[in-house]
Amino acid sequence: MDGLWVKRTEGKDAGMYHDHVRRDRLTNKAWFLGVLALAITAAGILGGIGHTGLAAAFAPVTAALPGGEALVSVWAALGLALILTLNVHLLGRLSLRLQVAAVWLEVLSLFLVFFYSFDLSYSFILGKLSFLITQGVATTLYISAISIAIAFVLAMIGAIARLSNNGFAIAISSFYTSFFRGVPLLIQIYLIYLGIPQLGYVIGAIPAGVAALSLCYGAYMTEIFRAGIMSIPKGQWEAARALGFGPMHTLVLIILPQSLRLIIPPTGNQFIAMLKDSSLVSVIGVWELMFLARTQGRDEFRHLEMLITAAALYWLISIVLEQLQARLERRLARGHRH
Amino acid sequence: MSLLKSLCLGAAAIGALAISTGAANAGATLDRITQKKEMVVATAANWPPQSFMNKDNQLDGFDVEVAKEIAKRLGATARFITPEWGIITAGNWNGRWDVSVGSMTPTTGRTRVLDFPAIYYYTPYVFAVHKTSKLDSRAALNGKTVGVEGGTTSEDYIGGKLKIDAVGVPDFTADVKPGTVKTYGDSVGPLDDLRLGDGVRVDAIVSALPTVEAAVKRGYPIRAINDKPAYHEPLAIAIDKGDAELNAKLTEIVAALKADGTLKSLSEKWYGMDYTVAK
Repeated sequence: MDGLWVKRTEGKDAGMYHDHVRRDRLTNKAWFLGVLALAITAAGILGGIGHTGLAAAFAPVTAALPGGEALVSVWAALGLALILTLNVHLLGRLSLRLQVAAVWLEVLSLFLVFFYSFDLSYSFILGKLSFLITQGVATTLYISAISIAIAFVLAMIGAIARLSNNGFAIAISSFYTSFFRGVPLLIQIYLIYLGIPQLGYVIGAIPAGVAALSLCYGAYMTEIFRAGIMSIPKGQWEAARALGFGPMHTLVLIILPQSLRLIIPPTGNQFIAMLKDSSLVSVIGVWELMFLARTQGRDEFRHLEMLITAAALYWLISIVLEQLQARLERRLARGHRH
Repeated sequence: MSLLKSLCLGAAAIGALAISTGAANAGATLDRITQKKEMVVATAANWPPQSFMNKDNQLDGFDVEVAKEIAKRLGATARFITPEWGIITAGNWNGRWDVSVGSMTPTTGRTRVLDFPAIYYYTPYVFAVHKTSKLDSRAALNGKTVGVEGGTTSEDYIGGKLKIDAVGVPDFTADVKPGTVKTYGDSVGPLDDLRLGDGVRVDAIVSALPTVEAAVKRGYPIRAINDKPAYHEPLAIAIDKGDAELNAKLTEIVAALKADGTLKSLSEKWYGMDYTVAK
C-alpha cells in the first residue's frame, strides 16, 4: 500500500493550509467508489439515459444485452457508471500536477463534444473569423483599454476625495460611487447615449460607451483604491509628517507608491471583467465583438456559430490577460517576500 | 476636475430623463444632406433579408438598397449606422442620423415622435407552426402558446392592441386568443424556439412571411399555416419630427421609385414577389 500514500503540497504555493497527516485517498476507498457508481447509475436511470444521443451511440452493444428496450436505460447507466468510476479511480492515483492536467483535458473535451453535437458549420466560422478579430476584438480591446485608463484616474481622485476631511469632496465622491455602483451598466449606457444629447451635445456611440464603462468601473475601483490607501500603516503618515512632508506630498510621494502594489492586481481583474462588460455597448451600435456575434450570420441563420466563436475569443483574451496579470502580480510582490 | 465632470455627466443623465426637446429645425436635415452630400441612415444589421451583413461584411438587403437609391436621388451617398431598434423608434435623433429606412410601421404611438414621409411596401404577417404540427387554421390557435418579437407589430397584434391608421392597408381582426404569449428580444428568437419541436416551447409564432420563408429555405422545420395573412404591415421611411422640406422631398422620391418600377424590382429581387402593394 505504500505507493498509494500521498504527499500533500506544502509551503508557499499551498492555498489553504494542508497539514502533514497522511491519509489514504478518497478515490482509492471502495465505499466511495461504490457510492459514486450507485449515484451515477441512479441518476442515469432516472434521467432516462437510454433515450439520449449518448446511448444511441452504443445501441448495438445495449441491444445485444438481455432485457431489450425496457432495460436499455439500466444497461446504459451501468456502463456509464463503470466508466466514470474507473476514470475517477485512475485519475486519483496520479500526482497532483498530472491530475489537474488530466481533469482539465477531460472537462475541455466534454465541452468540445457538447459544441460538436450542435452540428456547426466550421467553414462558416473560419470565413468570418478574420473580420471578427480585426473589427470585433480590436474594437473591444481598445474601448476597454481607454476606459480602464480613465477609470483608473477617476478611482484615484474618488478615493482621495473619500478619505479627505473635506465635506464637499466626501459627499460628491460617495454620491458618485453609490450611484454608479448601484445602477446597472446597461442603464448607464442608455442614460449617457440618450440623455446627454438632450443637453445640446450629441455624443457619439463610442465616446458614450467609453464614458459609461469608465464611470461605472471608476466607481468600483474607488473602493479598491480606498482599501489600498488605508492599508498603509499610520506610522508611514506620521513619519512623513515628522520629516516635514506636507499632507499632499506625503500622499503622492510616500503613501500612493506603496499602495499601488496592492491596487494594481485587482485593477487587472477589473480590466478582465470590463472586457466582458464592454459587450453591453453593442446596444448603441458599436461594432465590437458582441455586436458582430449577434449580427454576422443572420442571413444564413448561423447565429449559434458566431456566438460560440465570440465566446471562444473572449475566453482566449481573458486567459492571455490572466497570465499577464499573474506575472505583474509576481513582479509587484518581489520586494515584499517574507 | 474629473470628479466634477463625472458628477456633471451623472446629473446630466438624470436630468435628461425629465427634459424632452430636440425637434429639428425646418429644412435643417435636408440642408445637411445636400451640403455634405451624405445621407446618414439608421438601420438594423441583423434582420435579413431587409438589412444584414453579407459575406463581404458589408450591409446588404432590401432596405439597404432602397436607402442607397434614395440617397442617390438626393445627390448624396448613403452611410449606415446600426443603433438598437428601440433607440431608432424612440425619436429625438438629435441629428445623429438623418433618416431611417428600416421597414418601420407607422403606428399611432410612433407618429408622436417621428414623421413618416412615405410607406414604401407592405409585408404580410402570418402564423407559423412546426412542420409536424396538426394546427392548420387561426381558430385552432386559441389557447395555445404563441411566440412574438417584443416591441413589434406582432406583439401588439397578438395582444389585440395593434392600430394601424395608414392608407392602403387592408382591414384585419385580432381573432386569435392565445393562452400564453412569449416575447423575444429579436426576430430569430421565436423561430429558434419553434424549431425545437411542436409545442416544446411554443405552439405557434407570428412572424413576417419573408422571414418565415427565409428560415424554411435554411432548413428550419416550420411552415406558415394555410390561412390568409394575419395582417399586412405597412412599412415606412421615418425621419425625426419637424423637417417639412425633407418630408416632402422623400414623399416625392418614394412616389417616383414606385412609378418607375425601381421599388418593384428591388422587392422581387429580395422577396421573390412584389410587396409594394398590399393584396
